[in-house]
Amino acid sequence: MEDVNSQIIEYCGLPLEAMKHWGSNGIVHTEDVPRIVPVFTHAITTGVPYDFEARIRRFDGIYRWFQVRGRPLRDVDGRIARWYVLLTDIHELKRAQEELRREHAFLATVQQLSATGGFYWWPATGKVFWSEQVYRIFEIDPAVPLTTELRQSRIHPDDLPAHRETVERAIREARDFEYEVRLLLPDNSVKYVNALAQATRDAEGNLFYVGAVQDVTQRRLSDFALNKVRSELAHIARVTTLSALTASIAHEVNQPLSGVVTNASTCLRMLGADPPNIAGARETARRTIRDGNRAAEVVTRLRALYSGRETKPEPVDLNEAAREVISLSLSELQRHGVVVRTEFADHLAPVMGDRVQLQQVVLNLLRNASDAMSTVDDRPRELLVKTEPHERDAVRLSVRDAGVGFEPEAADKLFGAFYTTKPEGMGMGLSVSRSIIERHRGRLWAARNAGPGATFAFVVPSGNAPRSDTKV
Amino acid sequence: MPGSALVAVVDDDESVRESLPDLLVQLGFAVQVFASGEDFLASLAVAQTRCLLLDIAMPGMSGPELQDELRSRRVDIPIVFITGQRDEAIRPRMMERGAVDVLAKPFSEAALLRAVNAALRIG
Repeated sequence: MEDVNSQIIEYCGLPLEAMKHWGSNGIVHTEDVPRIVPVFTHAITTGVPYDFEARIRRFDGIYRWFQVRGRPLRDVDGRIARWYVLLTDIHELKRAQEELRREHAFLATVQQLSATGGFYWWPATGKVFWSEQVYRIFEIDPAVPLTTELRQSRIHPDDLPAHRETVERAIREARDFEYEVRLLLPDNSVKYVNALAQATRDAEGNLFYVGAVQDVTQRRLSDFALNKVRSELAHIARVTTLSALTASIAHEVNQPLSGVVTNASTCLRMLGADPPNIAGARETARRTIRDGNRAAEVVTRLRALYSGRETKPEPVDLNEAAREVISLSLSELQRHGVVVRTEFADHLAPVMGDRVQLQQVVLNLLRNASDAMSTVDDRPRELLVKTEPHERDAVRLSVRDAGVGFEPEAADKLFGAFYTTKPEGMGMGLSVSRSIIERHRGRLWAARNAGPGATFAFVVPSGNAPRSDTKV
Repeated sequence: MPGSALVAVVDDDESVRESLPDLLVQLGFAVQVFASGEDFLASLAVAQTRCLLLDIAMPGMSGPELQDELRSRRVDIPIVFITGQRDEAIRPRMMERGAVDVLAKPFSEAALLRAVNAALRIG
């Protein structure tokens, strides 16, 4: 090192002599030294120009980034006479780059967390830029050239025509677009993807899109699960209604059947009398018994047909089960202007039973309560669902409405099959509900409120209740 | 012996009230019929009945409720429940409540005779 200009002397605040030892005296940041020494040495030995970035210490001890560029000056024989070195302060540039890198990393993290990627797209030229997250969502290697064919090969064939049409129309009209498609990935798995893109013009006036792509698979799958529960509940509702219907048919048919069989037996008895009417009595008796049994078989077949679904007792958290039903019916209740309040007891003991059937009962009570308030306009249509422990070994759930209530005389009939106050009602709801609760060794009843409306409540034994509970 | 024993039938169903007493008479029992638990309680038959053939599901007082009422009055009559429900869960529940037998409608003469005789042996 022969000479340096005064700017450098002033910057460093050191004499020329001290600068010669830059490799060890801290003028160059010690973290940068190991990186630049080989570059420097290589240049000196081979005569190749060098160019690196390093932090150089200012007189006040603060390091700033410099670009250091060196070029050899050769004499007439081609030997290196000396090196010209140019130091450029790039500190601000470097800081801006750093800032940019941080922002980029921040965006990447956000994209990853929200499963959302960003893209630019120039439809006229097909030029496209995808963020890393979009590549990850589409499961395409960022190293592979991103062709239209490759992009479209990921979209589910069933969704592709509609998707193309949406995008093409948007381009024609230079409008924003939004779509949801399924991706069919190489391993045959399916993803649900939602995309939003904003039509924009670049400096040259060309149309391009800035957009976001989100992986909504999880949300779609839970939607499907919810819908499945919903339709299962509806199915159980139908089956339960039918099974209660056949039970009541069985009851109705068995009553006269009993008479038929008993009469026939009487008839046969009479044959023993003196004098017996053998021919007539025997024929009557046989016909009666035969017809009676045939009717009983029909009933048995009917029952077998609809009792296909076995009930599996399992511990059921009534709070959770009720909450699920409420959330399923919330939109319907809100449509009818009904406000639902809940008062759920903490640490409620689980009840042993069939979760879906118990939910069916809750659903029924909610519907009835809502229906009972449909004509109420002079007070809030409020519905209170409450759970609480009942005595030592049972749980009670009640649904209180502010509806039209019922007359005291009707109390007995409420739970009978085919009793209804609704124009389109079948009159099966409460009858089915009661038979479900009774199958759970519980009770379901209705009470008139002190104010307007009625409260329907049931009590079922909790899981730790003794098995020999035989109250009928 | 059967001849003098009073068998009471309580059932809301008319066909049962018509047919069952005929058969019981053929079998040699004295019979009285009632359409409800309330009617039975109000009658003089309560004191004389040795066997009660009692329907489970009735409007108003149910069979088991009549059973409870008799118990609270310290009237001890052997009870044979009869039911139109062919539900397997009913029988053990009624037996646990102290029934002598449970007959699902329609029932045979032999089953009826067996149940009534069992009740009379206890009474």
